[in-house]
Amino acid sequence: MTIPSTHLFIQTLILGVLVGGVYALMASGLTLIFGVMRVINVAHGAFLILGAYFTYWLFTLTGLDPLLSLVITVPLLFAIGWVVQRYLLTRIQNPEQASVLVTFAMAITMEGLMGTVWKTTVRTVRPEYASSVIELANYRLPVTRLAGFAAALVVLILLYIMLQRTNLGRAIRATIQDRNAARLVGVNVEMVAAHTFGIGIATAAAGGSLLSMIYSFNASSQTDWISRILSIIVLGGMGSLPGALLAALVLGVMEQLTAIVITLYWSPIVFYIFLFLTLIIRPQGLMGEVVREKA
Amino acid sequence: MRRWRIPAGVWIGGAFLALLAFPLVQRSQYYQHVMVMTMMAAVLASSWNILGGYTGYTSLGHAAFFGLGGYLVALAHNYLGWHPFISTWFLAIVVMAVALLLGWIALRTHGSAFVVVTIAMVFIFRIVALNLGDITNGARGLTQPRPGWGGVQWSPEIIKIPFHYIVLALLCLTVLVSWRIRLSKFGLGLVAIREDEGKAEAVGIDTMVYKVLAFGISAYFVAVAGGIYSYFFTYIDPQFIFNIFTSVTMVLIALLGGRGTLWGPVLGAFIMEPLGDWLVGTFGGTQIHLAVFGAILLGVMLFMPQGILPSLSEIRIRLTRRRGPGLSSG
Repeated sequence: MTIPSTHLFIQTLILGVLVGGVYALMASGLTLIFGVMRVINVAHGAFLILGAYFTYWLFTLTGLDPLLSLVITVPLLFAIGWVVQRYLLTRIQNPEQASVLVTFAMAITMEGLMGTVWKTTVRTVRPEYASSVIELANYRLPVTRLAGFAAALVVLILLYIMLQRTNLGRAIRATIQDRNAARLVGVNVEMVAAHTFGIGIATAAAGGSLLSMIYSFNASSQTDWISRILSIIVLGGMGSLPGALLAALVLGVMEQLTAIVITLYWSPIVFYIFLFLTLIIRPQGLMGEVVREKA
Repeated sequence: MRRWRIPAGVWIGGAFLALLAFPLVQRSQYYQHVMVMTMMAAVLASSWNILGGYTGYTSLGHAAFFGLGGYLVALAHNYLGWHPFISTWFLAIVVMAVALLLGWIALRTHGSAFVVVTIAMVFIFRIVALNLGDITNGARGLTQPRPGWGGVQWSPEIIKIPFHYIVLALLCLTVLVSWRIRLSKFGLGLVAIREDEGKAEAVGIDTMVYKVLAFGISAYFVAVAGGIYSYFFTYIDPQFIFNIFTSVTMVLIALLGGRGTLWGPVLGAFIMEPLGDWLVGTFGGTQIHLAVFGAILLGVMLFMPQGILPSLSEIRIRLTRRRGPGLSSG
């Protein structure tokens, strides 16, 4: 254990918040999908990595900037997610029980396919500004993380506007609150589910593009990522978007602090410890309601 | 006219004798190895089934108990000289105690949340094993001496045979316990929890105690298997033994054969394990076998969610029903 100086502490805090912003984007889709469908999409990590690989491809083949590649990867993964929900997930009988295993099977299948296509070499996307750093009042801000945070913020604000101001957004919120009541007032719940899954996967695509320039990854990194963002949405309260954002910032900061105070190797355990503690002390998470189980 | 049916006892006895004679008849090292791994998979799936099948709580965390059993046995062998074939039965009790404690926490959640918590368990164990380098040797893993008894190492030609019989014994014990539980009042309580936990509680079943006990028992046999496994390979490391894939395999096997049935997990293991071995042998080195494995799991979940055995008995019931009226009218 080392007690960090004030300077190091604040530096770590800044990095934690920057990382937390990207985590928030990744977790937003997962918690939205759970809210609407009561499905834990364990394949979310695999979709993140798929987004990262598309970005990597665009970057190495055409030199497209990872931030600009969002324009292509986001619609593409929206379409994939929409099709997966419409033609695969709707076939599940007893979704509350079986959906975890089905999406887990999807995750394994995708990991295998991605490992076959892109091999197991660890990749990262390095645009020209990859190693540049902005110095601000003696604190170092890596450009990629700053850009990642900014991009995450933009996407999250767009998501918020969509949820609050559009008809689809209202339909999604209505479905989250009460599926049957939403159906009664004329919401096409099946279509809302497909759109939500598409949107959720699209945010994973955006998260994946940001991930590709901040972290190195290969197909098997998906297990690492899914366990992080799952811990985030459990801590935040499953289905609660504001909860997920708060939890992402908390865990981002905690992870960075653990890396400084103890060692880098122990930092991943923070997520799991928080997951366990949440479930023991406050199973509904920071801002969620108790998830009603079908009796 | 009633068709003559072979009694279940004859089937079971015949299969047991065949397994007993297997290593004496089949001398190929490769097939002996596959048979040991198949029976071990049957142990894991049957043991998982006590919790996952009877109570309906899908755990993806049993790889944690498999790995913990493996580590305890390897450590006791290297530092204290305890022979794994004996120590594994006792050290698995320690694992069971850990499982009871973890189950007491994890079983407060239901459905999907429970699955997530159990996934986290595997990762916690792995990170701890990686980081307690002084004890576990970290990522470099633990090596045990070559298997033998009383200072004499078994020669390579016969080395699989002792493992064959100890895993066979474990398989018999696991199935026996699973069968006794199924017939007992305890087992009825577990099935009641699966069907409706609220009502089970209302009729006076202490559901928490039942669930936690089922969790502990189902961890025990998995831990014993983990101990034997670590000696079979004489090498374990955290990535390898605390592997979520081990858990998924248990679930897939139990689902394929028939979740909640006594023989489903055994049947599933005798289908999946040789198939998996063939896949790795054919596509080895690439990751395509992972994709094939996932696709099979997806197919089972979507098109045969009940598994083979329940589907078969459904077909048989439908056939006899159809035959019945035909006979009376003719």
